Amino acid sequence: MSMTTAQGFRKYTTDEVWAKLRSYDCVTQMWQSVVREFPESIAIADDGKEYSFAQLDADAAAFRAVLKLEKGAKVGILCANSYDFVKAFLAVTTAGGVAVVLPAQLDAGTVFGCCMKFGLSKLVYQPQLAEKTAVAAAQAKHVELIDVTTTAQGTAPAVVCGADDPCVIMFTGGTTGRSKGALLSNGAVMQGTLNGCYGYPEVFGQRYLLVLPLSHVFGLIRNLMTSLYTGSTLFICRNNKDMFRDIAVFKPTILVLVPALAEMALTLSKKFKRNMLGEELKYIICGAAPVPPYLLEEYRKLGVTVFPGYGLTESANLVSGNPETITKPDSVGLLYPNQEYKLVDGELWLKGKNMMLGYVGEDELQAYEDGWFKTGDLVRIDEDGFLYITGRIKEIIILPNGENVSPAVVEANFNALPFIQDSQVFEDVSESGTHFLALEVVPRMTELAAMNLEDPNAYIMAELERVNKTLLPYERVSRIVIRDTDFERTPSMKIVRYKKCN
Amino acid sequence: MQLTRNDIIEQLREILLSADDRNAEMIQSATEDSRLMEDFGFSSVSMLYTVIAIEEVFDIQFENVGVTDFETLGDVVNYIEGALK
Repeated sequence: MSMTTAQGFRKYTTDEVWAKLRSYDCVTQMWQSVVREFPESIAIADDGKEYSFAQLDADAAAFRAVLKLEKGAKVGILCANSYDFVKAFLAVTTAGGVAVVLPAQLDAGTVFGCCMKFGLSKLVYQPQLAEKTAVAAAQAKHVELIDVTTTAQGTAPAVVCGADDPCVIMFTGGTTGRSKGALLSNGAVMQGTLNGCYGYPEVFGQRYLLVLPLSHVFGLIRNLMTSLYTGSTLFICRNNKDMFRDIAVFKPTILVLVPALAEMALTLSKKFKRNMLGEELKYIICGAAPVPPYLLEEYRKLGVTVFPGYGLTESANLVSGNPETITKPDSVGLLYPNQEYKLVDGELWLKGKNMMLGYVGEDELQAYEDGWFKTGDLVRIDEDGFLYITGRIKEIIILPNGENVSPAVVEANFNALPFIQDSQVFEDVSESGTHFLALEVVPRMTELAAMNLEDPNAYIMAELERVNKTLLPYERVSRIVIRDTDFERTPSMKIVRYKKCN
Repeated sequence: MQLTRNDIIEQLREILLSADDRNAEMIQSATEDSRLMEDFGFSSVSMLYTVIAIEEVFDIQFENVGVTDFETLGDVVNYIEGALK
């Protein structure tokens, strides 16, 4: 068992930055401190408007008066990336409430389901998402629906919480892929926010651009919260297709991206023979999926440092970050301060201030052992303390765009066809290095024979394609193979899963 | 000079190949009925790349359409033709 300290990161930054890195126990403390320090700095730029820290503070205080929360009350936030989201999130958390961040793409039925599953007392929504609250309005009458643009007289005071008090519930597939909520404490969110400040010299007063969803910890904590903590400006990109136009105008210094987006920006820059990421970009914080070392190399040629990292929703985002990008490009870096860890048969187990209080809406004791959270990731740690992901024992597939796909959930759709005996969904990689989802199926021959088909394979393929189209876009498979033999099986007759990647 | 549908498809083919070439053969032989996701295996990021590159190459802007609003190559050609008018 080991506990990491901040000292490993000391040499990668300046004395001035180091002296300013403070640890907080709750969002309210941090927020009050940054508003005192940077009142007139621009905190958020969104939809053509700029909002200073003082303005955001006033708007959050006024919205607390609208919310009228009791400490610990669970409040759903159904807002797309916007200033409204930031205002609502700060109002709920600084009032001592628990912000339940609902992805804006959820449908009305799922929003209702979340109201029940997470025990929401209020639901804050953007007017343009009002129709998604229809089922909740009809069937969950105890949940108060609040339009995020509502105003009230006066303000309500902020509430200071303890590090163990709950702060936010984030959606995650966890290690099994079944959707649930991870309950993060105030201390966890603050540790995750501070972790984003380690390992590079220019930390405060930066210009961040937000393209990741705030319903993902990488967007919420590393992009939004660390930007606020450091007195930086966050430009909210409303539509990802406009990100390069926004970049040309705003000129960000730091981008937080998933590898697929970083790679796309590189390909576009090459195709159009100009740096699409703007002249002032210094750093790309890259995570949520494995970061290929060649990305670091290619960006270095453009004068941009890519910092790979590793984290989980359950760990309030960052567990480790790599400041040694030239000598150790394939590492996910040093474990951040206060991270307790141990390796059990190569698997990384975690404890510490940043770890979630637990799952909500699902009992998942198998995620823990002796109080340790089992990540499902196989790692090694080198003599300098740098972490390398070597494999995965959890079944979840993490695509380069950060989407998590549960093979079992996708397979169930194909297995529902009566003439499919078994199927396996796995990640494969093409000759050009692109990662994609593939499907292999074993047909149920007796069933097929009884159907008297002229061309059984063509029929199977057409049916599989039909089912494929009903899946969520990122769950769809790009290649299908019909096997004429069974899969390799374990002694207990489970399918031996392919490990073509990682 | 006005671009014909075939001109547009040829330029699109080049964009699609740079977006994601893992089904290069399908893209080479693509017709207006080819489906972006199912036939080319495009991910949401490949679709995003395609939209951004189309805006750049054809000097148009997609208004009020999502990246996943296009099913076939013909849908994309229709949109570009409309925007160029």
